[in-house]
Amino acid sequence: MRSSRRDFLARSAQMGVLLGAGVPLLQACGGDSASSGGKVTKGIADGLEPESGPLRIINYADYVNPDVIADFEKEFGVKVEISTIDTDTESVTKLASGAIKADVNHSMANTSIGNLINGGLLQPLNKSYLTNAGNIVATFNDPWYDPGATYSMPYTYFGTGIGFRADRIDPAKVASQGWDTVWQATDFKGQVSVLDDEREAFVMAMLRRGLTDVNTTDPKVIDQALADVMELIDLVNVKVNIEGYKDIPEGNTTIAHTWSADLIAGAAGYLPEGTTSDVLGFWHPPAGEYVVTNDSMGVMADAEHPVLAHLYINYLLDNDVSEKNFSWVGYLPALTKLDADYVIGAGYVPENLRTCVPTSEEIEKGLYYKPLGTEGDALYEAAWSKFTAGG
Amino acid sequence: MTAAVAAPQKPRRQYVWAAFAAPGVGWLIAFFVVSVYAVMAVAFGAVDPLLKTPIPAWNPLQWDTTAMGNVLDRVFGGDLGHVFIRTFSFVGAALAGCILIGYPVAYYVARKANRWRGLLLGLLVLPFWISYLMRMLAWTNLLQLDGYVNRVLQFLHIQNDPRNWLDGDWSTVVIGLIYGYLPFFILPLYSTLERIDGRLIEAGRDLGANAVHTFLRVTLPLSVPGMMAASVITILPMFGDYYTNTYLTSGSPRTEMVGNQIEYYLRGSSQPQTGASLVLVLMAFLFVLMVYYLVTTIREQRRSER
Repeated sequence: MRSSRRDFLARSAQMGVLLGAGVPLLQACGGDSASSGGKVTKGIADGLEPESGPLRIINYADYVNPDVIADFEKEFGVKVEISTIDTDTESVTKLASGAIKADVNHSMANTSIGNLINGGLLQPLNKSYLTNAGNIVATFNDPWYDPGATYSMPYTYFGTGIGFRADRIDPAKVASQGWDTVWQATDFKGQVSVLDDEREAFVMAMLRRGLTDVNTTDPKVIDQALADVMELIDLVNVKVNIEGYKDIPEGNTTIAHTWSADLIAGAAGYLPEGTTSDVLGFWHPPAGEYVVTNDSMGVMADAEHPVLAHLYINYLLDNDVSEKNFSWVGYLPALTKLDADYVIGAGYVPENLRTCVPTSEEIEKGLYYKPLGTEGDALYEAAWSKFTAGG
Repeated sequence: MTAAVAAPQKPRRQYVWAAFAAPGVGWLIAFFVVSVYAVMAVAFGAVDPLLKTPIPAWNPLQWDTTAMGNVLDRVFGGDLGHVFIRTFSFVGAALAGCILIGYPVAYYVARKANRWRGLLLGLLVLPFWISYLMRMLAWTNLLQLDGYVNRVLQFLHIQNDPRNWLDGDWSTVVIGLIYGYLPFFILPLYSTLERIDGRLIEAGRDLGANAVHTFLRVTLPLSVPGMMAASVITILPMFGDYYTNTYLTSGSPRTEMVGNQIEYYLRGSSQPQTGASLVLVLMAFLFVLMVYYLVTTIREQRRSER
């Protein structure tokens, strides 16, 4: 259900018929077992030699630096094969049906991790291989979606706010209007967009009304959010996409409901010649009302190369490797060292986009999307279908 | 004498050609049937509550029609009704554009181009060398506020201010569809126009009709089967298109087509059975159009054989 910037890059792929279901048989690799109320899977034992590969990864297109992959191949003497997917839903479907076999699930949405664990698709991590785990931001040592970080390690994190052209609208005005900026943008008709994601878009409308239960399944609240978002069609001729990372710097969009990482990526790679990053701005709500999201890495339960998979995850948690990856991907790694001061000082992020780097407090007090269950999903999806259909 | 010689060979020849065609025809039928049945199994099946993956119901006795019922309610009188109307309107307008632009081109290449025919046919096929999506992305650049389209229009004083072509305007989507599918229209029509017996046109002129009347009374009626085939080849993929409008209007809800809803439910939601049901409903609409095409074609064939 979640989509993102990298989804856009891969969305050109043709739609296929979804077939097949059923959870594949799990391969036990020896070692400790874990259960989360669903299927029991086993982790690997300590001190095993890495397999000879190839290491199979499932990931979004362009969501890991190719040079980092090449470095890993050289250092460990193995080949890495990446299968790309367009959406998190597609990833779960293909892994569950066996259509894709992978060792590393590279970028799981935190709303899916619980289901993947209970479905028996992930194996518990053996922390003895993850010597770099101490580098990660403390909050992610015990995240709500995976208590004790038993099955997952954080990959990237980002927040949801408003990206805008600071040369067209006063940043102080955006800050004072908050989420209402999107509804007040009648001067920028046709240059306003909301994220192509039902949870994000409706939660934006809820937060605008001061409602902070971002996991509500109350039909009245969802209906009101739908009505509010529907207003945007006539008010500002709203677009629904995930292209803020290029549309804002290129000037086609003035105000976009977007992810913080999109501004960082936009400043780095999408500003037209002669345009400086001063034209970009990012606003987000204060800590406690700020939605912070992250993608995570895990090892598949039926991984044929589980030791190598652990070593790969550990490799990505190395500060230097992670910095190199960030310099290409644009999405912040969840490592303590790469905080706002560091990434700004190193020149990766302009000072005026400091707000794009969530602080420790914002992460700790962040609002997080949680799974809604079948009925909850259906409510959001039906409302989203109505909105995208134009009413 | 000729008939007497040909008669004993005819059945054997038929068997030979049928044998050649059988594997291909069997392949097409099998995969059509399997694909459609798979979509039906998903549409009338269930969903894994944990992983949201479809659980196809292969046994018709176990079919659950809830999702299909909901989709039909939404299509006939609900919020999806106007998405279908919008889709049919876009496709209809794009087909009209294809006819207006494509017919003269096909006619010129088939009947008037002479030694340039080969070159022109090559140019018509040339766009296929580039991915459709790449061409649509190129259009988004051309149509941007500071893109070449606006620059040219302003240079020619056709407009004073740049127009935001990508702001969800239906005309941009129709232009995109016409551009994308025009070669599919021209090529089948060309082959029909090229096969028209020139003596029939000359006879029309000899019998006193001027060029316009000859075209209207002789050429145009004879090209109807080609236009029908070209129309079918053009509109079928248009009905399933979901990326032309996505790229050219940056996902404006004002230009959403049925294909977008199918894509959302199949790839981005926890309700693949709803997406598969939408596929079947759209197929039912297209089936009606196909039946009309087949009946018209058969009638035309019988009439020409008389």
